[in-house]
This record gives sequence, structure tokens and C-alpha cells, in this order.
Amino acid sequence: MPFESYRIHEVPDDVLAALEYCYEQGWTDGLPVVPPVTDRVKATLAHEGRPPEAVIATHPATGLQLSVHAAAVNAVMAGCLPEYFQVLIAAFEAMDKPEFNFHGSTASTGGSAPLLIVSGPVADDIGMNADVNLFGPGNRANATIGRAVRLILRNVFQMIPGISDKSTQGHPGKYSFCIAERARGNPWPLLCEAQGYPPGISSVTVFAAGGFCNVENHGGNTPEQILGSVADAMANYGCITLGQSVVIVAPEHMRIIADARWSREDAQSYLFARAKRPVEGMRNVGKYRDSEYDKQHDGASHPIVEPGQFHRGLWPEDILITMGGGDAGGHSCFVPSWSRGRGSIMQHKPIGVCIDCC
Amino acid sequence: MRLYDPTSSGPQKTLYRAAAIANLDGRTMGVLENGKLNAVEMLRELAALFEAHHGCTLRAVYSKSNPSAPAPAGVLARAAAEVDFLITGLGD
Repeated sequence: MPFESYRIHEVPDDVLAALEYCYEQGWTDGLPVVPPVTDRVKATLAHEGRPPEAVIATHPATGLQLSVHAAAVNAVMAGCLPEYFQVLIAAFEAMDKPEFNFHGSTASTGGSAPLLIVSGPVADDIGMNADVNLFGPGNRANATIGRAVRLILRNVFQMIPGISDKSTQGHPGKYSFCIAERARGNPWPLLCEAQGYPPGISSVTVFAAGGFCNVENHGGNTPEQILGSVADAMANYGCITLGQSVVIVAPEHMRIIADARWSREDAQSYLFARAKRPVEGMRNVGKYRDSEYDKQHDGASHPIVEPGQFHRGLWPEDILITMGGGDAGGHSCFVPSWSRGRGSIMQHKPIGVCIDCC
Repeated sequence: MRLYDPTSSGPQKTLYRAAAIANLDGRTMGVLENGKLNAVEMLRELAALFEAHHGCTLRAVYSKSNPSAPAPAGVLARAAAEVDFLITGLGD
């Protein structure tokens, strides 16, 4: 499709007036956006090999489509540099998988946001932050890639708060929720390696995420103590479901785990075994359901699953765990899945390449 | 200054409403429960009102395994063949 055929808005040649125009059109997340001038959009499109009309994702209910062109327009509005575009594209390719269910996780009262975890060399190549203030402000790539996701959900897929986005409370990650996995000092294989991508290929993992839960532990000196406090956060009665989990371990905590030579799999198994609540307790808070218990305790249940206990998730692999954050501080975090559990399953895609296209 | 429009530029999916039933009296109905807490209970209560007020008959209860995803095509095809109308909705 020629560039001239895309809808264009002529506005006064004044940046502030253009910015206000974007507000008037309902194109923003409440914060000012970069006016999507045509030249800047074309510069972004130059970083994608496919034509502008290529479809990246389709809304399962409305049929609204995300084209490469529309993704570039929203990336510019979010403040992305052109070299970030490959991450955004890969993220929506992952979100387009039916198992991710991006319509449900965006429309739901549960109020989740897609958490993006970028793994591999591209994170450094584009200047992402995997270090101090990991989930906080200050890094352009993290902030604007995550923000572009939200703008696309709003502008392209029309997931408008109060209309098609019925989040009861939402959370701050709905503005932007994008981090890089920390490679420096990480004792475990990077996620992109664990996901089976060839050496040098980066990946982005998408996870329909509830609000962030800090896990503070400055006194623990063993993996059991550190991960025990994480498991307790994972199993709190407000969070525990059959859903998946993301755990980002602070470097200070990771050193304790690594010094004891625990692998990622060891940590996953430990967390799964201890992130649990008794059936009686689940009944007491009104959250016990036979069908969910049976799903976890059927004939195919994981050997770690204990009778009479309700674990978080179905098996240890439901827990994505890696390292991130600054060197100092005993602050890890747990990020719960959207709402009741398994309505969305995390997905990943390679960045900037197509592994199975040829 | 020329700005590109950030909304979807692809073809819009055309959605059609099913023709309304002219008269509910004596019709057969189904319940499509979405698996949420209390969904079946609430929808059965609603079905009971249709039975009491319009002489409808509840013929089948269908289920979705994922409340937030569309019902499987096979479930909808079976419902279309078996009942005159379907009641669905959230349960919480």
C-alpha cells in the first residue's frame, strides 16, 4: 500500500498545537505523545523488513488488525527510536498467539498489562535497562517500548478504558511495563537461550501481568530463606491461583542462590513446592473451587503437588525466574498473572528474525 | 504538519446480529456458562424466570473452559442446532 493511501491529518505547523490535536483525537494514554509526523514514521518503518501493510496481530473479537504501519505510528507517538521497533513487532507477534488471549487480558476487570521481558544482546544494543531501578522511570527504551504497547492496544485495537477495557483498578504497568533481563553477573542461561533460540538471537517474552509485588529480604543468607519469602508472596490469598508467575531476582539475592549452586530448575521446583495454601485456608477465604483443585491434582499432576494443598500454577515451569535490578538491595519481586489464572499463557518470540520462516 | 492516523487501517470485520425471536413463549433455551464462580447458579436462576414467565424449557447447559475467550465453534454449532436461544453472561 503506498504511503499516500494511509489516513493523514493536516495540522498547524506547531508542535504544541499538534500535541493538543492528538489529545483531541483521543490518541493518548493521558500523557503527551510525540506527534506522528510522516517522516518519523517512515524512518521507523525502515527498520522492519516487511511491507507497511503486513499484518502483525488481529483482534479475535473485532477483527481489527495491527499492520506494520500502524505499529510504527504508535511507536513514534510513544517516543520510540526506530531501532526499538523490532522489539515492539516481536512483542505483538507473541501476543497474537491465541494462548496469550490479549483481548481477554486487556478487557478484563482483572486489569492486567502485558509485561515485556527482553532477553539477549538486543537489550544492550538498543540501550535497555536491566539494572538499577529496573521497573522504574529513566530509560527511554524500556519506557517507550512498553508505552507503545499500550498505545497500540488503545488506538489500533480500541481497548478503551471504561468501554472495552473494564479494569476495576488497573495498575501503573498499564502505562508501560517493559524490562530487560540482566545478563551481567547472571549465573543462569539467559531466557533466550533457555527458550531454545540460536546463539546471538534475542527474544521477548510477554506475560499478562497483574501488579508488581516487592519481596524484601535483607536477613536471609540461604536460597531457602530468600526463595521462601518469594514463595510466600506468590501464595498470598489475594494472589494465589492456578496462574503462571514471573519472579525477578535481585542480584544480591541471586548471589546467595548461585553460591549454593542452585540452577533455575532448582529454584522453580522450590518455589512451586512452597507457594501453596491449604485447602481449608482457601475455603476460609472463599476462594476454593473443586474444579481448580481437581485440575491440579488429577492423574497428570506434577509429582511435587501435595494432597490437601493448593499450589500456585500447575507445575514448576509455570514460574519464569531470572535476574534483574541494581547490585545493591535485597529487593526481588513477584509479578502475578492476570486475574484467576490460566486465561492467558505467557509467550515468546525472537526479535528481528524469523526462526521458522524459511 | 502531516500526521499519520494511529488507528487501525485494515479492513473492518462486519458483525451481524442474529434475527430476534418474535415470541419467547414455549421456546427451548440453553445456558452457556463461562466457568466463573456462580455463573451456572446465576444463569439457571435467569432460565427459571424464562420458564415461569414464558413457558420456556431449559434443554442444555454448555460450558466454556476459558471465560474470556470465545466459546469453541463446536459448542456454538451444537447449541444452534439444539435450542432456540442461548443465555450467557458473567458470573461474578
